[in-house]
Amino acid sequence: MVLKIFFPRCCNMADSGLLIGHWLPGQDSAVVLAVVHYPFIPGQVKRYLSQLQNESRVELAVLGSWSMPKEGQEGMESFLRDLSTIFPRGRWLQLSREMGKRGFTCQVVHRDGELPRGEGENCKGDNGDGGGVIFIHYDQRKSQPLFLTDKYDDGPLKLTHWQSEGREASIIVELAKQASVPLCLLLTWLLSLWTWLCSSRLLNLPPVRLVSSKLSTCVQLSYRTEHLQTVSSPKRALGHAEFMRKANIFVSFFVDVALGLLLISWLYRENRISRLANTLVPVADRVAKELQELLQWLMGAPAGFKMNRALDEVLGRFFLYHIHLWISYIHLMSPFIESLLWYMGLCACLGLTFALSVLSDIVALLTFHIYCFYVYGARLYCLKIYGLSSLWRLFRGKKWNVLRQRVDSCSYDLDQLFIGTLLFTILLFLLPTTALYYLVFTLLRLVVVLFQGLIHLSVDFINSFPLFAMGLRLCRPYRLAEGVKFRVLCEEPGKPLHLLMEINPLQYGSVLQWYRTPTYNCYPKDSWAALCKKLFVGELVYPWRQKGTKTD
Amino acid sequence: MFRRDWTGRNPVSKCIIGSLVMGADSDPGAPSAVPWRKVLYERQPFPDNYVDRRFLEELRRNVGVRRYRYWPVVREAGLVTQQLSCVAAFLTLWWYMYQGQLYPFTLLLAGLLCALLGYGLYEALGGPRTEGRTRLADLQSAAIFLAFTFGFSPVLKTLTESVSTDTVYAMSALMLLAHLVTFPYAQPSPPGSLSLNAALFGSVCLASRLPGALHTFAMVTCALLVFALWPCLLHRLRDRAPRGFPWAAALVSLGGIGGLASQSPGGAVLLALAQLALTLLCPLLLLWLQEHKDNIHGPWDEAEIHEDLSRFLQ
Amino acid sequence: MADDEKFTDINGKVIFLACQNHSSFCREFTVSAPKVSLRHIMMYTCSVWLVAYIVFFLTENTAVLSGAIFVTLVGMLLHIHFVKIDHETLLIIGSLGVQVSSSYASGRESTTFIEMSKIKDIVINEAIYMQRVIYYLCILLKDPSDPDTLSSVVPLFQSSKPRLNCLVKVYQSCQEILAQC
Repeated sequence: MVLKIFFPRCCNMADSGLLIGHWLPGQDSAVVLAVVHYPFIPGQVKRYLSQLQNESRVELAVLGSWSMPKEGQEGMESFLRDLSTIFPRGRWLQLSREMGKRGFTCQVVHRDGELPRGEGENCKGDNGDGGGVIFIHYDQRKSQPLFLTDKYDDGPLKLTHWQSEGREASIIVELAKQASVPLCLLLTWLLSLWTWLCSSRLLNLPPVRLVSSKLSTCVQLSYRTEHLQTVSSPKRALGHAEFMRKANIFVSFFVDVALGLLLISWLYRENRISRLANTLVPVADRVAKELQELLQWLMGAPAGFKMNRALDEVLGRFFLYHIHLWISYIHLMSPFIESLLWYMGLCACLGLTFALSVLSDIVALLTFHIYCFYVYGARLYCLKIYGLSSLWRLFRGKKWNVLRQRVDSCSYDLDQLFIGTLLFTILLFLLPTTALYYLVFTLLRLVVVLFQGLIHLSVDFINSFPLFAMGLRLCRPYRLAEGVKFRVLCEEPGKPLHLLMEINPLQYGSVLQWYRTPTYNCYPKDSWAALCKKLFVGELVYPWRQKGTKTD
Repeated sequence: MFRRDWTGRNPVSKCIIGSLVMGADSDPGAPSAVPWRKVLYERQPFPDNYVDRRFLEELRRNVGVRRYRYWPVVREAGLVTQQLSCVAAFLTLWWYMYQGQLYPFTLLLAGLLCALLGYGLYEALGGPRTEGRTRLADLQSAAIFLAFTFGFSPVLKTLTESVSTDTVYAMSALMLLAHLVTFPYAQPSPPGSLSLNAALFGSVCLASRLPGALHTFAMVTCALLVFALWPCLLHRLRDRAPRGFPWAAALVSLGGIGGLASQSPGGAVLLALAQLALTLLCPLLLLWLQEHKDNIHGPWDEAEIHEDLSRFLQ
Repeated sequence: MADDEKFTDINGKVIFLACQNHSSFCREFTVSAPKVSLRHIMMYTCSVWLVAYIVFFLTENTAVLSGAIFVTLVGMLLHIHFVKIDHETLLIIGSLGVQVSSSYASGRESTTFIEMSKIKDIVINEAIYMQRVIYYLCILLKDPSDPDTLSSVVPLFQSSKPRLNCLVKVYQSCQEILAQC
């Protein structure tokens, strides 16, 4: 086996002394944690070690000696060897540096054999037991429980180990910690009040629930409640994942609110709300006008299609009447729109996501006529497609066997055949008209859905983006480690191998993947093929996810 | 001698026999001490594909072939001829309506008369009634036909307005041809679904070009009579009065030719020629070809290739 | 210590294998692919610019030209940062583990370290690649719950895909070190 010695980089240039650390049982490796400098009293060192051991529950021991040659300090060899008798262990390491060389040399003294096992010069594997030594240099980080003393503290012993560059803003952190507990309690109480309000009988009536599950503002509200419940729970985060989740939610919530306040400060200045309201009504009017023109065009001979005149006229008039209703509704609403917008804009102080959700809902409400047209068209088209497909089977003298899930042949009566064929002919010749109406309204609907989908996507992005983890990855890459990586430091012939162990930080992609806050959009969606099939058959397409499909 | 007869008959079975015979031929020096037996449960000193010379003794040819005679075949061919004539007669009627030379009311009256006469004849001929079909049910069916056709005729009228005439003609011709091709000549009593549906589709297409809703109604009713009810009556006639059947078929054929002649003599001549060829020449051709029939049967299974191609699609 | 030898990859292109002996139980193998050829860059750039110029000729919109320049630059950056792998390194340290790293032409490096206790063996395997059979070197990983079974396979030199003679050389050195511990 090869002996592995993990050596902290901060002790590279330390003065001579004793190596403190611990052996990893069964792995043939030693971890050096600190160096105790001369002069010291062995009894003091032992007491200090046992004290540290009690505090930190890490098994500490004196591993060996460390000698850093300096002018006027020659002839320490025998002294160092004698030290091993004072601190009795199974193995005693003698590390030393030489003047002007980068590598260390290492001698291992066995307590039982009393003989140096591998000397630095020939520990290259060619001595009998094939052993060797690898120095692995590592960066010490955050060994607070072990060595709480700062650089300038004066203790009974002089030590070299990793020291933080001071604890900046620690008072603020402490204060925040103290303050966070009552704040969390208050927040929890408020949230429980809110959830109680939400779970009251009145809000759980089926129509209210249906509407609230379709309005993206309500969905966003429930998200935020859930998030705040997670954050404000007074229990400590148990694992890393839970801590990161809390921190991510916390940071993204703050960013969200900050963006929302920014939006408010922009929106409520210079009378922008009323200007917006003044443009909104004409825009809705304009859309209705455009739709009217589109319908007029469809009622003629659009793009040279051969439409059934009678059906065309019926459908066109029906839709025109609908638009007429819509326009009068808008005009009825127009005096209230400005104040409505003003109050809705206040939502943004809950966060940008709320503002976006409200926008999405407004768009949904203002394009309700398009949705209606789409539903009528799709239902009609769907009916026709289903009718045609079953009548086509009748036309061929077949029928669908429900029990066996296949098409069987069947002998029909004369009157069934006659009526079926009559209906088939009629449906077939009316299909292009319906299909054209369906196509046009589906395209319109898709535009609206696309817009809403974009808004939902951005809301979801803000909700689920792991801002804290990203920041941590950017500023403290070693905190999010994927593993370690090694680099060969120096190879001088005759010296043990020196490796540098570094933290291999997580890739940004995996940070995003691991620390993402789960939302509906994380779950698999319909594929494009399924969407196209739905569109072809005439099933309704919605921008929102059905709540029942949320698993996990 | 046999090998020459197999040429080009059935490539798959020929292949199999070829390989089997080759197995027999290629092993002339096989140990003949143990006679070969056609069993699988014994281990025999022969290769798997071995057969001996008795193999072809079990070859049989033209099993269960009925020899046709000329006049019965002509009689049966009359069915095809009269169906062709039916289509011609229907087209003639439509043409008269289209030209305005025939009033829908007249057609309806004639249709009613024909239907009553036919129904009377159908009942008079007797024969097994379909289960559950009472007179009331027949009346109900007739009422449904009439009501639906009458109700839908305004819709049907506007159906093909925007479609160009050529398309409608092409579609109707295609559908009537499909009717003729898929008509179940062997068992015409419940008219086959596809043939009847094709005929009705074609006639609805044609009827929708007529000038008025009543015209459409009359035409669709007429189509129902010609394509749905007449085959039933004819089948009953063939079953119960085999003597009367050829006369009825000949009458209808002549009626079709005569009707067409009143509108386009050229077409009538063509139709007559076609009918003559169908009735007289085609049976001759059949008899002549039957002499060349050579079907082999034997103690082998024909190779069938069941290739599951669906895995290539994935 | 280091010896350079000419090898070819599965497509017949020249690659270089550098084998560095840090100590008796630590070796480093570097397979470097040839640099991005200027001819290819020229070809792609020219084709993009030609298309852009044709579009510019038709539409007379100068935004197309600046767009083309932008596209070429961004494409080249993305290519050297995410696609083009300059060299792949296998560092095997006896009793410690194996480190696989690949560095991109831009200098970006992605590294994975596999502990020795997880490694079952290093073998040369065959695979069907497009229409031919190729050899590749791979690390077999143990299943932590059941050390006798394989949990997964980590292929090495995935982008350079050296031929068998090169793989055998690496394989023999690796086996020497694995046998020591």
